[in-house]
Amino acid sequence: MATAAASLRYFPSSLRKRSPGDASGGLVKLSHRRALSAARVAAPSREAEPVASLGDLTRVEFPILHQEFDGAKLVYFDNGATSQKPNIVMKTLDEYYRSYNSNVHRGIHVLSAKATEAYEGARTKVANFVNAADSREIVFTRNATEAINLVAYSWGLSNLKQGDEIVLTVAEHHSAIVPWQFVSQKTGATLKYVGLTKEEVPDIEQFKGLLSNKTKIVVVHHVSNVLGSMLPIEDIVTWSNRVGAKVLVDACQSVPHMPVDVQKLGADFLVASSHKMCGPTGVGFLHGKLDILSSMEPFLGGGEMIADVFQDKSTYAEPPSRFEAGTPAIGEAIGLGAAIDYLSQIGMQKIHEYEKELATYLYESLISVPNVRIYGPAPCKTDHRAPLCSFNVENVHPTDIAEILDLQHGVAIRSGHHCAQILHRTLGINASARASLHFYNTKEEVDVFVHALKSSIDFLTSEL
Amino acid sequence: MDVSSLAAALPSLVAPTMNLKPRLAFPLHPFSARGGGAHPRGSVAVGCAHSNVPPPLRRAADEEDQGEDADPRLRLHRLAEEFRAVPEAGRARRLLAYAAALPRLGDADRVAANRVMGCVAQVWLVGRCDGAGRMRFAADSDSELSRGYCACLISALDGAHPDEVLDVDPADLAPLGVAAGTRSRASTWHNVLVGMQKRARAAIAVREGRSPAGSFPSLVIGRDGTVRAQGSYAEAQIHPCIAMMQAILYKRSYYGPTFVVREICKYSTPFRGLRKNGTPTLAIADIAL
Repeated sequence: MATAAASLRYFPSSLRKRSPGDASGGLVKLSHRRALSAARVAAPSREAEPVASLGDLTRVEFPILHQEFDGAKLVYFDNGATSQKPNIVMKTLDEYYRSYNSNVHRGIHVLSAKATEAYEGARTKVANFVNAADSREIVFTRNATEAINLVAYSWGLSNLKQGDEIVLTVAEHHSAIVPWQFVSQKTGATLKYVGLTKEEVPDIEQFKGLLSNKTKIVVVHHVSNVLGSMLPIEDIVTWSNRVGAKVLVDACQSVPHMPVDVQKLGADFLVASSHKMCGPTGVGFLHGKLDILSSMEPFLGGGEMIADVFQDKSTYAEPPSRFEAGTPAIGEAIGLGAAIDYLSQIGMQKIHEYEKELATYLYESLISVPNVRIYGPAPCKTDHRAPLCSFNVENVHPTDIAEILDLQHGVAIRSGHHCAQILHRTLGINASARASLHFYNTKEEVDVFVHALKSSIDFLTSEL
Repeated sequence: MDVSSLAAALPSLVAPTMNLKPRLAFPLHPFSARGGGAHPRGSVAVGCAHSNVPPPLRRAADEEDQGEDADPRLRLHRLAEEFRAVPEAGRARRLLAYAAALPRLGDADRVAANRVMGCVAQVWLVGRCDGAGRMRFAADSDSELSRGYCACLISALDGAHPDEVLDVDPADLAPLGVAAGTRSRASTWHNVLVGMQKRARAAIAVREGRSPAGSFPSLVIGRDGTVRAQGSYAEAQIHPCIAMMQAILYKRSYYGPTFVVREICKYSTPFRGLRKNGTPTLAIADIAL
């Protein structure tokens, strides 16, 4: 396919370079997106060379990672909040604004045609990335939060009424909860929450029990941004469909880290944000099954989403345009397309494998620190744990830890409720610290983090 | 403020004809201080192994001579100079030392009503005007670094006159930032200062015979007459309103229930309407205070 061939052409140049002083080569061939084969390291002929990890190889493409604060190299472990961007994404944005910025869809001139082609091309890239059946099933939004609001206002307000039930888990992000609270207040539908098991994952048995013919929609995360656990979406969809309930999947923490196939998952709606997957901020998307989208009322009104406008009424466009009012984040969507190209060249399966290793390494290193309590299931108790750990240290406030890690060690983690207050209340805590990794992080960075953590804990408890 | 005695006193102030039997109920915020928080360590003398033990923070309240030394802005300025003299690596340690010396608040004060809003950690602030007309502050937090910041602010502002507290500009705090640039921590400083200034403003208002509260936060008056703050932000602000409410309700026996509602509504968004005879029409639950 032309796009695949074209994307091969701008193979990240760093991956071709030999590292200095590397006698045998250490060339790593990266997978062609179609082949999805695991990378093979060219066998070093003489010395046993340490194999460069995916993190080592890719981080050269992320200039922001190469900074120091007071002599300490930045260790960026806040990817759950937002990811960093590779050179190609920034170059794409720059090129867009520099050479073909123009409003899309209606323009006649060549700039507009080029912008429209690139914008719609980005939509196709997103569709292919998540294996949507049709690119019209991809609606560009500002972010996943807006996408969830879109479903809540456009589908929820028209389809829910008094007595209906919306099922969520206590581990949902606020963005997946609050819009449904609005809908509940306006329609009289009620919210039901699935609690946690003692392994600190959502209780699937309780979930099955909560489903009834009153359930109209199930809103669940794919991967939890605090617990690191993954939900069995295909099963959830099967069970929900049996009672006639729709399913909305918050895939913000899964799409950037593993292959996600919306047809396989079978959910009615799926949302994700560009900025968590190496794309720019300001754009995200909703995937919705075409027949459902076609039945939905508009969300925001304005230009682009109309067919004809009269004084007293208007007719609306087909999806996805129906839900994209006004001038979209054109450059940013194109930037997202470039990010998708970049990720696809590495291969999401490869990223997933590497991050599984990182996840286990992070968990095991962190749990070895005295008095640390990590939330969520242990890697051995689950078949998937994301490369993130939310944790607390006994007798030390997580914000103090984050502050000292930042001030004295250049390590960036997050502290607070991570937009999951209900989850924190369920766990019986006010706040936690969270280290969340991405494929450009390395085990060496985990070592630095753990060492810095021990040092910070000593610092904070030494006055005793 | 003893809520239970207030609640006991109130029913007698309100005639049964009016459905309003306010009992001020303050549910403890679910994020009560537990889990992940530090054990109270008591006030520990600062005795760490480091050679440069910081001098204990002097407080305006302790100053015998009431000269310029007591001016909060000057004290903050001096504190900033002290911090600047310390190499950056040592500033956090200094803050922790101050934190260790800061007395802890009792459980009765670590309540939602005293929460300083906007901080990542939980911070509680108590402030009142003493008999000599000076502001007395105490603060606490579940985060040690926040306690350090609180200790610095209290050393500068505890014992100061309310007007002096109001004169402090958030910009005065900037040199005290432990690290360069704006961090979210900066907001802890700022938020606690804002909290202190609110209490100073209330004290000035009382002194001048005005009502202490500017406007009420979001309150819900239930059909059964309970008054609840709506939301944690409101809970944190309700404290100055208690005296306010008490004053209004006390006058009810002289001026009648309409007066009560009108007075309350002075501090709220305008109520919905008036009946022909001039009495307000509103469902009690509709009052957005």
